Amino acid sequence: MSVDTVEPQGGDVNPPDAAQPAPTHGRMPGALAWVANRLGMEELMEDQYNRIVPIHATNYIYCFGGIAFILFLILVVTGILLVVYYQPTPDAAYQSVVNISTNVAFGWWVRSIHKWAATGMVILVFVHLLRVFFTSAYKRPRELNWISGVVLLMVTMAFGFTGYLLPWDQKAYWATRVGTDIAGSTPFIGHFLLVSLRGGENITGATLGRFFTLHVLVLPVVIVVFLGAHFWMIRRHGISGRL
Amino acid sequence: MTRGGFLKWLIGALGAVALGGIVYPVVRFLKPPPASTAAIGQVVNIGPVSSFPAGQLTAATVGGRPVIVTNVAGKIVVYSAICTHLGCIAAPSGTELHCPCHGSVYSATGTVVHGPATLPLPFYSAKVSGGSVLVGPVTFTRASYPTWYKGQFA
Repeated sequence: MSVDTVEPQGGDVNPPDAAQPAPTHGRMPGALAWVANRLGMEELMEDQYNRIVPIHATNYIYCFGGIAFILFLILVVTGILLVVYYQPTPDAAYQSVVNISTNVAFGWWVRSIHKWAATGMVILVFVHLLRVFFTSAYKRPRELNWISGVVLLMVTMAFGFTGYLLPWDQKAYWATRVGTDIAGSTPFIGHFLLVSLRGGENITGATLGRFFTLHVLVLPVVIVVFLGAHFWMIRRHGISGRL
Repeated sequence: MTRGGFLKWLIGALGAVALGGIVYPVVRFLKPPPASTAAIGQVVNIGPVSSFPAGQLTAATVGGRPVIVTNVAGKIVVYSAICTHLGCIAAPSGTELHCPCHGSVYSATGTVVHGPATLPLPFYSAKVSGGSVLVGPVTFTRASYPTWYKGQFA
């Protein structure tokens, strides 16, 4: 199969017949079709349904970005649940985390999923980067996809770094101490970065407050904006060709 | 039932099970856990004196928190089994208490035999009344117990 020919991969790949009613009716249950019709989403959805995934892109190595996104969705849900009980103050933070893990029903479950999904997301984002690099998928016209992807990698790491402090235990304290010391070694602006991250010269309740704000308010907005751009450009340019 | 109908039903049933497996824990999670069974200051009856043999370290619980009960010639002394190092639960081993996490050892009176723990185990007030051991609030004799440790008893 050459790059130019496309084989049917299942699903409706025939061009829609203008004389026929929009075929979304057959695909959606009545109530959903009713909502889609009122919102005028039928054409939009039809466009999505009729996109053909090239056979080379059905290889599992093309799934890493999608898996990372699924992990992100899991992190959003479990994160919202955790913040119900978490208290971002130096006196209460550790106790509230212990409370989640020991007293709250399924708290250990939610917290473990959040922790492991976070670990998995960092790994999957990086593996996705490797796939894109080795399949040359970053080349024209997908340069901005690569750049937004690098930003997303950085945001993922920032999520991990800020989230690591929140349990407020010894490991969290020293990891943040080391991490912010590294930021502090930046030429010229190092000291500004260090005190901005810590909210002072030392790691205190101010640091915890800042990291908590970054973790649950700032970074989620940033990642949603960049994910939107990332996905929009995939739709616009399609999946890159075969090697 | 047609084959297609059965498969649709099967997919629906499996989907409902999968959804239930998510919704049930989430609903349980959102329901606030009951407050600790014994607040500080409440007196708890932990059983008859005869269940704490003399010259022996006995593990028990007060309001869900692990304690060690010692009976020295009829005098009952109760102290917390929560290690002052990082909050693991020390267990009786002969005439000593051994913490399984980092190897802190406490004597039969709750003082540190060797570290990493530096602070002794805090005592609960305890008395024998009508043949039963009544345990009251814990007291921190030193100011240096860290906040997280005191939080174990809040």
